[in-house]
Amino acid sequence: MSALRLVWLFAAKDLRAEFRSGGRLPAMAAFVVLAGFLFAVSLDRSQVPGRSVAGGLLWLVALFAATAGAGRAFDMEERDGAFRHVLLSPASRATVFLGKTAANLVLIWVATALAFVALTAFLGVGVRSPGSLASHGAVLLPGTVGLAAVGTFFGRVSSHSDLGATLLPVLTFPLLTPVVFFGATATARLFLDRPWPEVSGPVRLLWAFALGSVAAGAFLFRHVAEE
Amino acid sequence: MTLDGRKSRGAPSALDGCGSRGAAVPSALDGRGLVCDYGPTRALDGVSVSADATGVLAVFGPNGAGKTTLLKVLSGERRPDSGSVLLGGKPVSGADPAWRARVGLVSHRTGLYESLTVAENLRFFAGLHGRQGGRAGRRKADADLAAALNRVGAGALANARVGALSRGQRQRVALARTLLHDPEVVFLDEPFTGLDPDGASLLEAALAGLASAGRIAVLATHDVARGLRLAERFLVLQEGRKVLEGKAAEHDAGEVASAFGAGGGAP
Repeated sequence: MSALRLVWLFAAKDLRAEFRSGGRLPAMAAFVVLAGFLFAVSLDRSQVPGRSVAGGLLWLVALFAATAGAGRAFDMEERDGAFRHVLLSPASRATVFLGKTAANLVLIWVATALAFVALTAFLGVGVRSPGSLASHGAVLLPGTVGLAAVGTFFGRVSSHSDLGATLLPVLTFPLLTPVVFFGATATARLFLDRPWPEVSGPVRLLWAFALGSVAAGAFLFRHVAEE
Repeated sequence: MTLDGRKSRGAPSALDGCGSRGAAVPSALDGRGLVCDYGPTRALDGVSVSADATGVLAVFGPNGAGKTTLLKVLSGERRPDSGSVLLGGKPVSGADPAWRARVGLVSHRTGLYESLTVAENLRFFAGLHGRQGGRAGRRKADADLAAALNRVGAGALANARVGALSRGQRQRVALARTLLHDPEVVFLDEPFTGLDPDGASLLEAALAGLASAGRIAVLATHDVARGLRLAERFLVLQEGRKVLEGKAAEHDAGEVASAFGAGGGAP
């Protein structure tokens, strides 16, 4: 079986289990609604337009989905010892990492899509055209790939520890700060209708982070996958 | 039954071994001078062990004696801090996917995903072992899954969610998963824990099947009476050290259990 098929096999298994058990998605949806509601009631929109905070809200949701979501991605592996059997199979550790990262990425996208709905509902900030949607996608794609890769890698590291849920944000937030910073900067500029050249710089940095974190995660995962 | 619930012809109805691959009988699996530390705790302290296809090797010992660690080191799940593992005199390592493909595990933790069905679980693990791919491959894989489930008397469970199954049913499915990729070396880590008598009988039959199919089987258990009944040879671990070994037929349960201060046979 090719590496790509193995990645797909793992991602499909994770997503099927996730959507069927409804473990992380309801928590993510509740967070999105709550964050949107709080932003809406706490902002004096005559002074601060919703458009100027929309980027921050969007990336806050993506960050939450990456850390809270990825941390639980290994719960299903550990619950009845399934990961022991995965590690004893001939599948490479890199394909396991990439499969779990792909599944986490889809969940982050679902949370981010919900955040767009919340932005429209609570702050009146929407995506106005297909071109604008494509621009947002061009920023979010590399940023969320980086978030998913780092979240997955450290999700495994923290699953070894009794302090897992506490440890994960401590490990990931310092690494993810550049992603969130450049991502929120680029998204905020898009919401403020700035031209693409003002956005392309942060996007290049996001791609560099995304590719670097995926490559490093795939290479290093074998060291954290085992005991 | 097939995985979709249709009846199929020719599926074995009882455990009949797992030697369908027709592979050459592997020679002995040897662990030499195995040392394994968990931080400051020495879990294995220079243990040497040899298992071959002439019969099951039982590993006895109290909790914390190093039984599971020994199985993990032999299977390649964990790298020893010192010592080596050899199959037929050649070093093997868990880092080698080809070695992992030859290994199977049945544990007291069944290692199944609760929110997936039995068939989905087995398809996933079969896929990890490269047993799926393409339409023809998938048909063959599904037939193999149905046959493996039928072998363990779980053919009717294919579409049931694992989370809804009893402990005994889950263990049958876990056994089917192991039979599915026809491993040459099978490690059984306290597999009888929590099994009902029917499930235990089935597992015992599976062990006999492994031995008759020329597979190497290593069973870790603290149920001395059962272990001696099933095994050809045994060894006893105590605090990471081998304190006794021999042929099962030449020792009784009380004698072996006294080597590690247990009461004989677990219920």
